[in-house]
Amino acid sequence: MNYSFDFQSISFAPLWEGLMVTLELTAAANIIGIVGGFLLALLIMSPIAVIRLPAMLFVEFFRCTPAIVQIVWFFYCVPMLFNVFLGSMTMGILALGFNLMAFNAEAYRASIQAVPREQIDAGIALGLNPLQRILYIVLPTAFRASIPVLLTNGIGIFQQSALVAIVAVQDLMYQGKTLATETYRPIETFTVVALIYFAVSFPVTQVVGYFERRRHLLMS
Amino acid sequence: MALDFSIILRFQDALLLGLWMTLKLTLICVILGCTFGFLVGLARTSRSLALRAISSVYVEFFRGTPVLIQLFWIFFCLPMILGIELSNLASGVIALTLYMGAITSETFRASLKSVGPEQLDACIALGLPRRNQVTNVILPQAVLRAIPTLLSNCVSLFKESALVSAVGMADLMFVGQNISNNTARPVEVLTIVALIYFVIAFPLTRAVSLIERRILAKLAI
Repeated sequence: MNYSFDFQSISFAPLWEGLMVTLELTAAANIIGIVGGFLLALLIMSPIAVIRLPAMLFVEFFRCTPAIVQIVWFFYCVPMLFNVFLGSMTMGILALGFNLMAFNAEAYRASIQAVPREQIDAGIALGLNPLQRILYIVLPTAFRASIPVLLTNGIGIFQQSALVAIVAVQDLMYQGKTLATETYRPIETFTVVALIYFAVSFPVTQVVGYFERRRHLLMS
Repeated sequence: MALDFSIILRFQDALLLGLWMTLKLTLICVILGCTFGFLVGLARTSRSLALRAISSVYVEFFRGTPVLIQLFWIFFCLPMILGIELSNLASGVIALTLYMGAITSETFRASLKSVGPEQLDACIALGLPRRNQVTNVILPQAVLRAIPTLLSNCVSLFKESALVSAVGMADLMFVGQNISNNTARPVEVLTIVALIYFVIAFPLTRAVSLIERRILAKLAI
């Protein structure tokens, strides 16, 4: 290989701006995902079919189609179908947020169902009413149990957010693509961009791993 | 606005061709990726430090970066570094195989770890030779446990394969986007494309949970 690397030609200012956009997208999508996902999980577990079925359809649809299809669909079809015109940033946040909502709802559902029956029995024995049992027993246990999955999904959205570059939101991936074309230095640019993504998501996955190990220790 | 889904019928051949490309790519990468992932999974539990370090860096890197940037890197940078021409299909296969290898290696590693130490103790108590311990006791159980997660890895790969449209490979997504741009009917075309992906991925995810329950029941006995 006789390629001479030249990392000097990469200007970091646009990449930094892009990273900020990516982080903003991730943070906003996570807020939608964590709050909305919980509400969605409650809807999925509703005994009333009219509520449950649309919620399940929503979840399954987002889980079973590629994220890129969802994002492109969202950007092209929502303005045409509903006649709403939002900024590209808002659209990106909503598309990613809905996707995350679906995945988080499944995480919440699994952990709500995993709350041991004995705990609820204990609640009944203590004379707590159904609402109190949900608020004081099911919720705290289930939320704590779903934290690792929520974090994993959250960092997943950080990675998926690179997809909005395709619909011209100026995130890290977009800035990287532009820079690679401008400088004719795709190897250096894409390597640096990949390393930036990695530098953000790797520590988070390590923290998740730590939480999970600690949980296993506490449970055993 | 008036929706006219009959437009899809005019383009069904093109969409089928795109779907065929998506399925072909997925299938090739499932086979290559699972094989590679299995080897990497073994490497990560190996006694050699170098092997462990290399395989860990590979897995963490591919799990810690967006698949899109992996694809871009392999499409644009790998040919420059190697100084050879890579066809679109070859680049796509390399990129998705490496991605699949990274996620399945974690699946294999977790399932190898899930086979309890008492199984090995039982092997020793029964006086089984070392190679039979692995091939007849540990591996069958580990692979059985890995099946549901491997299947959902396959679904993930199927979904991620849509990304190759961003680097100009004519898969289902790419064909769909082209048609939608040329006909200015994104709602109909993109909805049908999404539905095609859904129709394939949804039964697979159902199968995953079905198989999971059956395997768990089998292991419990």
